[in-house]
Amino acid sequence: MTNSISRSCWRAAVAAALLAALPAIARPALAEDKAAILLPGSINDQSWNALGYSILQSLKSHGFTTAYSENVSDADETEALRDYASHGYLVVMGHSGRFVSAMQQVAPDFPKTQFIAVSGNEGMAPNVMSIDWNNAQFGCQLGTLAARMSKTHKVAGVYGLEGVPNITAQAGGFRICATKAGAQATILYVSDMEDAAAAKEAGLSLIAQGADVLTGKLNAAEAGLVEAAKQKHVFVTGRGLDQTKMAPDLVLTNIIEDWPAMFGATADQVKQGKLFGSFVMYGYNTAPVTGAALRYSDGAALNPLVPASVAKELQDEAAAFASGALKITPTREDARGGS
Amino acid sequence: MTDFLAAAIRIATPLLLAALGGILSERAGVFAVGLEGMMLAGAFAATIGAWLSGSAALGVALALLGGAAIGLTVAIVAVRGRADNMVTGLAANILALGLTSYLLRVIAGGSGRPVAIHLTPLPPWPIPGLVEIPVLGPLLFDHPPLTYLAVLGCVALTLLLGRTQVGLTLRATGENPEAVFASGADPLRVRMLAVVACGAIAGLGGAVLSLQQVGTFTDGMTGGRGYLALASLIVGRWTPWGAAAACLVFGAAEAFELRLQTFGVPVSSYIVQMAPYLIALAVLAGLGRTSRLPAAIGQRLDG
Repeated sequence: MTNSISRSCWRAAVAAALLAALPAIARPALAEDKAAILLPGSINDQSWNALGYSILQSLKSHGFTTAYSENVSDADETEALRDYASHGYLVVMGHSGRFVSAMQQVAPDFPKTQFIAVSGNEGMAPNVMSIDWNNAQFGCQLGTLAARMSKTHKVAGVYGLEGVPNITAQAGGFRICATKAGAQATILYVSDMEDAAAAKEAGLSLIAQGADVLTGKLNAAEAGLVEAAKQKHVFVTGRGLDQTKMAPDLVLTNIIEDWPAMFGATADQVKQGKLFGSFVMYGYNTAPVTGAALRYSDGAALNPLVPASVAKELQDEAAAFASGALKITPTREDARGGS
Repeated sequence: MTDFLAAAIRIATPLLLAALGGILSERAGVFAVGLEGMMLAGAFAATIGAWLSGSAALGVALALLGGAAIGLTVAIVAVRGRADNMVTGLAANILALGLTSYLLRVIAGGSGRPVAIHLTPLPPWPIPGLVEIPVLGPLLFDHPPLTYLAVLGCVALTLLLGRTQVGLTLRATGENPEAVFASGADPLRVRMLAVVACGAIAGLGGAVLSLQQVGTFTDGMTGGRGYLALASLIVGRWTPWGAAAACLVFGAAEAFELRLQTFGVPVSSYIVQMAPYLIALAVLAGLGRTSRLPAAIGQRLDG
């Protein structure tokens, strides 16, 4: 009896060891692939650059060894890209759309390296690609949500970098759908997406003009926006679950970007020798990888205060985007500053 | 309108504290280019102090120390080491940016993991009685503690500079250090102390941003406010109330910029956002000929 148990344990252990070893046996040479990311800021910003760092970390489970450079200034972009590529990095990422032009300069010299601009909006064959999520779709959902939750029928968004395509998409999507749902949308641009104190002032100024739901697409400054909402007790949307923790009764939802999912699929194919030279945008229409999702907490999409009818309306919107029945393409005019 | 003025006061508060510190430094004869770094160190120390201890008061105390540490660095290099004031100040700003970012990781980050600190910002302290006054009450007497401190700082610094022996010695050190030396005081020591005090007070300005307005620290969160404070104290002719007026003008410009956009003016947001800095440049250019620097500012002290 004892003997047979120990024997089966032994067998199970051998089987487990073999299973564990299997991936390593399957692709022994690939384990040496390297991936790097260049960040415009520091991994500590609790927002955009922290996100870039988490993208890089997620590639470890795809068999990459990783490296990163922080605070890469505009002037240093090409040198930094070149440096990683010439050291044999298979995937070199730039954590902002602004890296695209530097990549276009450098890429022809390193035809085996895949360059990826996070949240860019263009590619260049054969090996420069941009990956982003559909800001217009999620911006639209926030617009509908904000309009439905507003009592004053005035809603507002605070953004940085007027004219950058994904900002135009989200701000414009927000205004289009908020207006459709019967609210007046005001959009305000701040000069620094990292300056929380300035974003808080922007939020307070919008609240003073009657807005009672705030949204925005900012980096470290997003916390300032939530702080303004908290001080004046109005609803707000965030960009991370820790913003829900800052004001659980006021944060309606967050747009949680799923970069690991967007990058994982690409990285696996690059490992197998495929290169990408285009702009890939994920959204409800590219399920199962949708690029982003509305999340209030780990288990819920929306704040429990949001009525079921509104939640249903947002689900219907998502379904319409998924099927292609609903399409929006916000313009600069839709995303203009002001009311 | 009340709301607009309240915004101007809020935006001006961190600038004013930094400018008050800068006045001490410049009146003693040392250019206060390092204000940005001192503010940043103060903002950082305040956040870490309040976060680790759970006490906002301890956060404020640490802001004084954090700013003073950068002040001491500048004092040692620029005053005792007789290095160029401008270069030293700029280097201190870069040092503070790197150091705070690094220390945030070491203290709060553990294994290099990004961190998130969220503190409840300092609440307003309405002044009983005065806050009941219509319009003016809520505008002037319903602020968080560091805002009152900035105003008290103006009063205190005005008295210090104009009415005390210490103030006289400090001003003399900026105008004619040889005379101070002849009178038996040590101008080197006066300048060292003035720059350290400048750092401590500018550190409080940083604490306004992190503890009072936002409740967290992010890399480089001062975002150039130290330079705006420097401009304010020059525009204000090195006097506390003059600097306060200049800070309010810059605060009003920024508050106006935010509101101008919502009126839907057909101008790019990038242009509108330049307003506060354009005003600063215009005023500085206008003052160029008439503003009189302390005579011995930037001069090395021998001996």
